[in-house]
Amino acid sequence: MSKPANPDLHLIRSEAGLHLLLPNGNRLFDLDEPTFEALEAALGTSDAGSVQRLLNDLGVDLAPLISEEPLKDPPLRALSLAVAQKCNLGCTYCYAQQGEFGGLAKNMPLATVLESVNLLFRDATPGERVNLSFLGGEPLMNRRAIHAGTALAEELSKEKRVPVTFSITTNGTLIKPEDADFFEEHGFAVTVSLDGPQPVHDLLRPTKGGRGSFDSVIANVTPLLATQRRMQVSARVTVTPHNLGLKPTLDEFVGLGFRSVGFSPLLRSPSGRDELGVPELKLMLEQMVACGEEFERCIKAGYRYPFANMVNAMREIHKGTHRPYPCGAGAGYLGVSADGELAACHRFVGDEEGAMGNVITGVNRQRQAAWLAERHVHRQEPCNRCWARYLCSGGCHHEVIRRGRPACDYIRGWLHYCLQAYGRLVVTRPEYFGVPGAVTTGTH
Amino acid sequence: MKRIDPKNLSAQLHYRAAGNPPSTLPESAISNCFPGLEFDFRNLWHHLFEGIELHEADNYVVGGEGELQGLVGHRLVRVAGQATMKQAIGPQMPGGRSDVLTSASNPGGAWTMEWSNSMANVLHQRAGQKVPCEFTKDKAPLPVWVSDDPENPEDPKVETEIRELTLRPIFAQSKVLQDRLAVIEERIAGAGELTESLCSPWQNDYRECACYYWAASRPDYVNVEPNEQGLSEGNMWLAVHREPKEYIPDNGRDTRLLTYEDLFRDWQGKLKFIVGGKDSD
Repeated sequence: MSKPANPDLHLIRSEAGLHLLLPNGNRLFDLDEPTFEALEAALGTSDAGSVQRLLNDLGVDLAPLISEEPLKDPPLRALSLAVAQKCNLGCTYCYAQQGEFGGLAKNMPLATVLESVNLLFRDATPGERVNLSFLGGEPLMNRRAIHAGTALAEELSKEKRVPVTFSITTNGTLIKPEDADFFEEHGFAVTVSLDGPQPVHDLLRPTKGGRGSFDSVIANVTPLLATQRRMQVSARVTVTPHNLGLKPTLDEFVGLGFRSVGFSPLLRSPSGRDELGVPELKLMLEQMVACGEEFERCIKAGYRYPFANMVNAMREIHKGTHRPYPCGAGAGYLGVSADGELAACHRFVGDEEGAMGNVITGVNRQRQAAWLAERHVHRQEPCNRCWARYLCSGGCHHEVIRRGRPACDYIRGWLHYCLQAYGRLVVTRPEYFGVPGAVTTGTH
Repeated sequence: MKRIDPKNLSAQLHYRAAGNPPSTLPESAISNCFPGLEFDFRNLWHHLFEGIELHEADNYVVGGEGELQGLVGHRLVRVAGQATMKQAIGPQMPGGRSDVLTSASNPGGAWTMEWSNSMANVLHQRAGQKVPCEFTKDKAPLPVWVSDDPENPEDPKVETEIRELTLRPIFAQSKVLQDRLAVIEERIAGAGELTESLCSPWQNDYRECACYYWAASRPDYVNVEPNEQGLSEGNMWLAVHREPKEYIPDNGRDTRLLTYEDLFRDWQGKLKFIVGGKDSD
């Protein structure tokens, strides 16, 4: 049902009606039954022109909104600093290979932290926004770097009138009470990696000594959850074949008070261990839809339900966001290794494939141009023939380069469900999208 | 239901409703609302009240149906108690003291306010209902001033009569949704009415507006080059001869410039295409 029949359109049935998605602009329409059926019939024929004729007749023709031209010299907007290329956990699937990215354990020297922050602000003009994030390994193994980087960024932000936001992704085991105050003071977005309820989390995220980490993470994070105001604490769940029970996980973390809970399938691990295959992705899709249905129930009833994947999907579908790249990696967003080498993102740290210069000499524009030309979704197979190409935009560069695209059916299935859910929610809860109620009492 | 209905924001943004020509799209329009190149928005106000026709920019009644025919030539001075005009106050001469700007043709110094602003409140609250409309008792060829408050001792006590007239809603109503549509009500502006009284840019309005309004889409100083003194040298766009290069101010009489008659008779022959700021052959 979500298989790509035609790259120029996708038809969706929901309880709220019959819908048409046009990838050019990710424009979503309601159709009446005869029009929907005519398009459906045209998709089934071998006459390639008949779909186009019907679309022309509907008056929805539009010059392509996404050009073939790759993005050119994008300004730097976000940096993630691998402040500690080491970790106290030994998660089997870690893309950073237990934090060290296949090299020696090391901390980022303070000089490199400061160079990185200077680079982030170097060309920013007043009013532009930048983001500074701290990753690893486990970034809290180098707290000095986080404090120094944050202090300099705050200073440059005031001086250059460039607002800055901060984020950190942590395993949660090393958070101390004073960290909570620091994160709150600077309004950090704190993402805690948690893979499920205690037994499954402990199985997937043990310490290097083999002990479970769940209890210590929860003990450390609970005060943050209780005090978060400016800071926002989210949980990020990496889904492997061992933790496919998403709904209980989601409910547990929402219950604990996380502002947002999101799931990402593990598609690539350095050893190949715990990667999801096609059967597991099918199971994951069912679970994601179950979580999505709970989201729909809550929103209809007027409650918050911070299921991040759904919140993001509803926002982007409503806007009709359409883009030729899946994320800012290699464009406005770059990763920095402990040695000060720039990489396409935090996952490409230490990987020649994503090398982008270094913090002293700046972004290597030649490498960046080649990357952006190469990674444009029009250049991806089989994306250029898929209706979802400007929604998924080809998927995570790192996973695709290292493993390929085993998850297309999963992604399309999820997007198909999200489009249906949007069709329902925009009718029953238009105000969720900021749309005034469709039926108002007449003012005249 | 309609065959197709744009749902999300990108679909709505790019949607072109059937029947709307390309000139109605924001990116192709000049979009000044009056006199207008695409339509003259002021024409909405002709039929604001059932039974009478108003001047688009004045409170003067120009038409009436049935017994309201008698109102032609009168002025609509208040609607729901609110005056339709204000007194203009300012110096008569530069540096002079501020006073009511009266003249022989406007003894009260009254200026009708632009309808879309002056009627906004009433339209918002009372569209579709009968509202008290106060007309001058006699025909009033010249502007008349009254205040918002007839009890005000300074109110000039113009003799008026009140009629209850129905205020038409601007937007059409959907019978299905019981809500207003993003379409102008047909009785407010029938076919062709919005496109009456448009600009004639090449014959008239570009010249009339001098460089205040049209400069973005029509350069008025052309063939410009720096001279030896580092100053600019070029032609006024209406110059009959391009040599010598000088900017001739348009006083409406200078024979070195094209006349209105030239433009009205043969603007397309007399004017040249300007490409990259220069005359093209």
